[in-house]
Amino acid sequence: MTLSQLTIEAQRAYPPRESEFTHTFWSALREGRWLTTRCKSCERKTFPPKLVCPHCWATDVEWVELGAQGTLYSWTRIHAAPAVFASEAPYACGIVDLDEGIRLACRLVEAEQSPLVVGQRMEMVVLQYQDGPIFAARRCA
Amino acid sequence: MTRNVAIIGTSAIPVGRHQTADDAQQQTLEHEIMTRLVVDAVRDAGVDKKDIQSLVFTLPRPYTRQKYFHTFLMGQLRLACKGNVMEVMGNGMTAALAFDQACNDILLGRSDVSLALGINMESAVSATEHMMSSMRTTGDVDFHTSAGFTPIAWYAMDGMRYMHEHGATREHLAAVAVKNRHHASLNPLAQYRKPITLEEVVGQRPIVEPLGLYDVPPRGDGAACLVLATEEIAKSLGKPYALVRGRGFCHDGTHQISDVPNDMIAFTSAQQAAADAYAQAGIGPADIDLAELYAPCTIVEILVSEAIGLVPKGQGGRAALEGETSLGGRIPISTSGGLTSRGHPAYVTSLYNYVELAEQLRGRAGERQVADARFGIATGELGNYNAALIHVLEAKQ
Repeated sequence: MTLSQLTIEAQRAYPPRESEFTHTFWSALREGRWLTTRCKSCERKTFPPKLVCPHCWATDVEWVELGAQGTLYSWTRIHAAPAVFASEAPYACGIVDLDEGIRLACRLVEAEQSPLVVGQRMEMVVLQYQDGPIFAARRCA
Repeated sequence: MTRNVAIIGTSAIPVGRHQTADDAQQQTLEHEIMTRLVVDAVRDAGVDKKDIQSLVFTLPRPYTRQKYFHTFLMGQLRLACKGNVMEVMGNGMTAALAFDQACNDILLGRSDVSLALGINMESAVSATEHMMSSMRTTGDVDFHTSAGFTPIAWYAMDGMRYMHEHGATREHLAAVAVKNRHHASLNPLAQYRKPITLEEVVGQRPIVEPLGLYDVPPRGDGAACLVLATEEIAKSLGKPYALVRGRGFCHDGTHQISDVPNDMIAFTSAQQAAADAYAQAGIGPADIDLAELYAPCTIVEILVSEAIGLVPKGQGGRAALEGETSLGGRIPISTSGGLTSRGHPAYVTSLYNYVELAEQLRGRAGERQVADARFGIATGELGNYNAALIHVLEAKQ
């Protein structure tokens, strides 16, 4: 799935590390592609992507596309932020249940005219910072 | 013969801002606080130095300059023992684990008298700096911390979800803070003791929406020491004691968030651990007379009280608002003032909860005394109650 991409004229406040394994995820996200891992044995997807299937402990996993649509399970707006995020505060973070049955937590992009509401439809997006991407979600148009 | 464990002595400093800044001329030294507390607690218990054969310390914060604090303190007190000496760490569960491990040393026959003790100093480090470390403790440091999550942000999302599911209001959450401040006003160990109103709580600046300043824990320092012993020794001292009657632990196999959608605010680990602790004690939630919960935010007290069966699901906020969980109410919760008012020096917080239960069950809580208190319950947690460690205590004369 290719996600909508928003350009952010700043560096990421707390950049994620990449391993040989997670490089596949982050480099795809740089191109707007939204991936995770699926176990070749029990066929369950997990997020964040993992080398070992947390369900059946099989070690043979494959990269697959994730859907972009879901619903907002909950959210918050953070006013008291750690030092590196202070200049961005307040900012919203939340939990999104993707339609394919994966729950994840991420930054939320707020729009002035459409406040966030639990249960509303959401779409995943990529925030393309100058130094790399962060996945996020926003209210469906 | 089965061994049982009792709390026979306690000591603690009032929770507050004790830590000195690095450049202060006169410094507060952790071991000077701790050595006095050990002496106070052991005197309270009425046992001798030579009786103590195991000590379980909570890990100090990284801001404590003295490293190997536990073995340093053994030297300060010339305490020789052959049971156990260790520091334990489990984030918010740290002090509950120290208590649990001290119990284990007695149950395993390694000691007849054990101490569970520790000090947590952090208030001279600013919240924004402290969060640079604490933000790495919750969620996945690469996939979640990079989005800006902080530990209490997860509780805030519990709150938002709870309000959505149950139609709870800001006032329902705020009622917990008001109630706990009233309890704290009666507790000399509490950090904030001036009564507050519902309007004041709701009117505070937002910290992590929907939670405002009085819904979240204040920064503070604390230190406490518990003396535990076999029931045989406790009986021989001829004074009331608090007997550990049940213990339950559960980790739900997730860290902060489950990628398989679940009922996030059900706190199933607390449900399970409480069920096991009640079963061991041979009682049910209706038998509990008071609860000291590890609840860093108002919403967490509501959710835990529901998970362990003290209040019906969805009713925790209403129960606080209507006085059911106040001193004098049906089931008093956080009689110490709880984490929002008694204070939350995180790595020793649960020690204060056991101190409160011991005071109540030994009939020494003064104006806070729950009449005829027989059974008390304490909880500790990891993450978003991904794990819970629960103890049921009983008053014994």
